[in-house]
Amino acid sequence: MPVGARYNGGMSAETWKFAPAYELPHWPFVAPPDLGAGERIRYPVVIAGGGLAGLTLACDLALRGVRAVVLDEDDTVGVKGASSRGICYAQKSLEIFDRLGIYERIRAKGITWSVGRTFSGNDEVYTFNLQDDSASEQPPFINLQQFYLEWFLVDRIRELDTTDLRWKSRVTQVENEADAVVVEVETPAGRYALEADWFIDATGANSRIREAMGLEVNPSRSTDRWCITDVRFNTPFRTERWTWVDAPFNEGRAVWQHLMADDVWRLDYQMAEDCDPEAISRPEVAGARLRAQLGPDVEFEFVWIGPYQYRDHLLETFRVGRTLFIGDSAHVVSPFGARGGNNGIQDAANLGWKLALVLAGEAGDELLDSYHAERHPAAVENLTVCRRTARFLAPRSRAEHRIRRAVCALARRHEFARRLANTGRMSQANAYPPSPWVKAGARSVQNVAFDGTTLMHCLAGGTRFLGLAFGADAATLVRLDELAALFPIDFRRVDAAGPLAAHLGAAAGTVVIVRPDAYVAATMAEATPEAVAAAMRDALGMDERARLAAAA
Amino acid sequence: MSADRPVMRSDANMADPDGFYEAWVAAHEGLSDEESNDLDARLVLLLANQVGDPQVLLACIAEAREQGCRRP
Repeated sequence: MPVGARYNGGMSAETWKFAPAYELPHWPFVAPPDLGAGERIRYPVVIAGGGLAGLTLACDLALRGVRAVVLDEDDTVGVKGASSRGICYAQKSLEIFDRLGIYERIRAKGITWSVGRTFSGNDEVYTFNLQDDSASEQPPFINLQQFYLEWFLVDRIRELDTTDLRWKSRVTQVENEADAVVVEVETPAGRYALEADWFIDATGANSRIREAMGLEVNPSRSTDRWCITDVRFNTPFRTERWTWVDAPFNEGRAVWQHLMADDVWRLDYQMAEDCDPEAISRPEVAGARLRAQLGPDVEFEFVWIGPYQYRDHLLETFRVGRTLFIGDSAHVVSPFGARGGNNGIQDAANLGWKLALVLAGEAGDELLDSYHAERHPAAVENLTVCRRTARFLAPRSRAEHRIRRAVCALARRHEFARRLANTGRMSQANAYPPSPWVKAGARSVQNVAFDGTTLMHCLAGGTRFLGLAFGADAATLVRLDELAALFPIDFRRVDAAGPLAAHLGAAAGTVVIVRPDAYVAATMAEATPEAVAAAMRDALGMDERARLAAAA
Repeated sequence: MSADRPVMRSDANMADPDGFYEAWVAAHEGLSDEESNDLDARLVLLLANQVGDPQVLLACIAEAREQGCRRP
């Protein structure tokens, strides 16, 4: 859709206005030292793809002192044009961004929300308030156009001045060798090859790197069709997530209504499966849908009209030798529930500290297997959740329509049936299953404020675990502190009657070991230095390494 | 779940089976097929919530499906 054009609809007298195009930043291509160098230069981490996942990882690594190279084929942020992909950023992502130092910009620019309402016809059938379960300094959600988030990340990465951001640099070939990954790059000034200790594919859903390596993702494409219509108007709708299962103003099909920055509303309309995508995205057709929803008097400008079908896929293994896959290249889900971008961000946060410890020699490279062991099940869970929502929103038979009608009818009167109205289960920090690294499984800790600090503030310096010693006496702390010389962990006495103890359900005497990504590695009711040391050996994969060595 | 008790009970558990049958049939009187089907769907949901236990619900769904597919 051309932005800035004016179109006088043939079917009505209304003149449709288009908002002026966003002015996105552009960064210059700078010829890298590799061009013209006699031999290949070796780097600790090379990240292909400067989207949400790749930039989050680069920023995370920069704060850990790891100098990554980022190769991006474009020279700006966002998808081509003004369309925003992701708009909803979940609490866990916002906590990560707090640690990375861009949360305040996100909060100032974005729209904070926690309430979602689901309608059937004209009746509200389900309401949730995610704030009810929150103990975090960050809200459950902030909505923001994806390109702003990427922009803030690039600004922050440049400010940290540790990462080598290479624009207009396209990966053309990848060779997985035993002790290095050789990456060939095409640039405006010619081609070169570099070597990476660790190579990260963050090039998105259509990754050619993944394809060239012959890796299967078992894709599935929906027949369900939608049309995003981002429009700017300043009628004060509530800043809540409103969804209709069957909107009277959209021929009984689903509709999404959500605000993002700059007074831009995302109105997403479910279309007939057999519709013509070109026809339904014409301004006069999209405009007629908007008039049916907004009435005749609201003045609006189009920002973006984009028809789409969703799809999903899942890579079987997220680590292949020295190559790791993060974000959409590893997993794609339908858009319901904001589980796409948020999970790319969380992949990056899961991987960053592990790479840093492996590169520093504080953990063996088997620790990187835990990235797959944790993020692959998370992706499976997200896929399952999103497929269930998609099924609710697009019944495939008369029987399915009948079942959904029964849910919506009963939901008008009964609490239990409201829980079945499924227009999206919003992204949460996935719990991780038991593994050699976390014997009891791992769950995320929210960014609770306690004792004059916050969890994220405690985790922001370097790559150290945090031992939370609830109500510990001075002698216990002295004993625990001796472990700080043996493992990357610092201990801290925490008030056993405070908010963090309440959040974790920790009684006095308990020690909770929190990983650098704010997941609990272990909880010990009686923390002896020996027990804490064993938990740290698990978390770093030291015993796993010994076991594998023995098996070999 | 004790080992000697199956997930889904098939023993007689209704205090008044004939009364239930009568009331169920009566609820469908005067309805079109479409309305009847909708009524049954709502009834399944209401009853499912009385049961609650997901194992029992899945066993009941499997049994109902198997009956429907069985050749006469």
